[in-house]
Amino acid sequence: MLYDLRRADVRVKWLVTGLLATLGLSYVFGAAMVALYAGFTPQSVAATYAGAEMSMPMPPETTMVVQRPMSMADFAGPEVHTVDTKLLIQDTHVHVPMYGLIAAALGVVVVGLSLPRRWALGLIGLLFAAPWLDFAGMWLTKLVSPRFAIVTIAAGWAMGVAYLIVAALAIHQMWLSRERG
Amino acid sequence: MNFLIRAAAIAAMLHITPIVVLVKRPDAVQALLPGADAYVAREVHLSGTDAHRLHEAVDWSPEDGVLVFYGGTAGSTSVGALEFVRVDTPHGPIEVAVGFTPRGAVRGVVVTKATVEMKPWVLEAVAAGLTDHYRGLKPGGVPGGAAGIPGRAGNLAVYVAGEVDKGVARALAAYGAFYNHVRA
Repeated sequence: MLYDLRRADVRVKWLVTGLLATLGLSYVFGAAMVALYAGFTPQSVAATYAGAEMSMPMPPETTMVVQRPMSMADFAGPEVHTVDTKLLIQDTHVHVPMYGLIAAALGVVVVGLSLPRRWALGLIGLLFAAPWLDFAGMWLTKLVSPRFAIVTIAAGWAMGVAYLIVAALAIHQMWLSRERG
Repeated sequence: MNFLIRAAAIAAMLHITPIVVLVKRPDAVQALLPGADAYVAREVHLSGTDAHRLHEAVDWSPEDGVLVFYGGTAGSTSVGALEFVRVDTPHGPIEVAVGFTPRGAVRGVVVTKATVEMKPWVLEAVAAGLTDHYRGLKPGGVPGGAAGIPGRAGNLAVYVAGEVDKGVARALAAYGAFYNHVRA
């Protein structure tokens, strides 16, 4: 095959290394952002995406008022970051194209690796399936059941693991392998 | 390849940045309900008809169909009420706290949350005197913050002022129609 990262020009290797380093940095901060806004437990992810919409889907027949006393401490209490349907539509619209481009970029790296065809196909499939499942989990959590939060968590980890596999194989084959050109 | 680069650039431009707290809620409450020593949350669960009426008026539906007003009292005297209103923009959400005097006029407006991207625009708009333009407004009035700051702030600050105007308009419409007109 013409495109083999082990024997590629050093400029191509340098480009791929830069791409992987940059994506790695963005993944680290992506994980930090998830920790800040949604958390890594099924409960916190369900609270973010399912929200109150699950508990009160129908408006009352007539407008009604419920009053309860508040203390200043209640105003200061930790707020759960929630993503309602409108925001999730917006998030899906802007994130999915970017995830597709990242999966495509990592997929191009996979094509240049020396791997059995089945492994390469599986890895490329994982790169695209993980973000699909990530957003599928968010939508299912919102529309079907908070139990689907586990899908989002598993898919998020799958994205990270897929990146690590690609990065480790690429760095090894480009810079460390005995067969490199 | 050219397509990929363009698509990446567009996706990066559209990416919504995280939300940051500009003013903590307790600080906004103290500023908008000065002197209050007791508070009550008044949750108005809108019927389908009322929710539709509000939507027709200001093109907005509150989250889960529930308006939440916070009333403050000092002893037995009402200090007023406030609302936190979210405005979704193409750059992500902002949250605006609108405080009312006991006579139903706007006492003050505080922008409590914005995205990282919009934070400097909000700060510039506020520094240009944005929130002064809302003081004294009553339900039925039209917020004119965005119209009041050109010349003292840049285009993006004027843009975000227009979004704050939307939040104030929503708070005015909700307060005017539902704060004192539905029994607990």
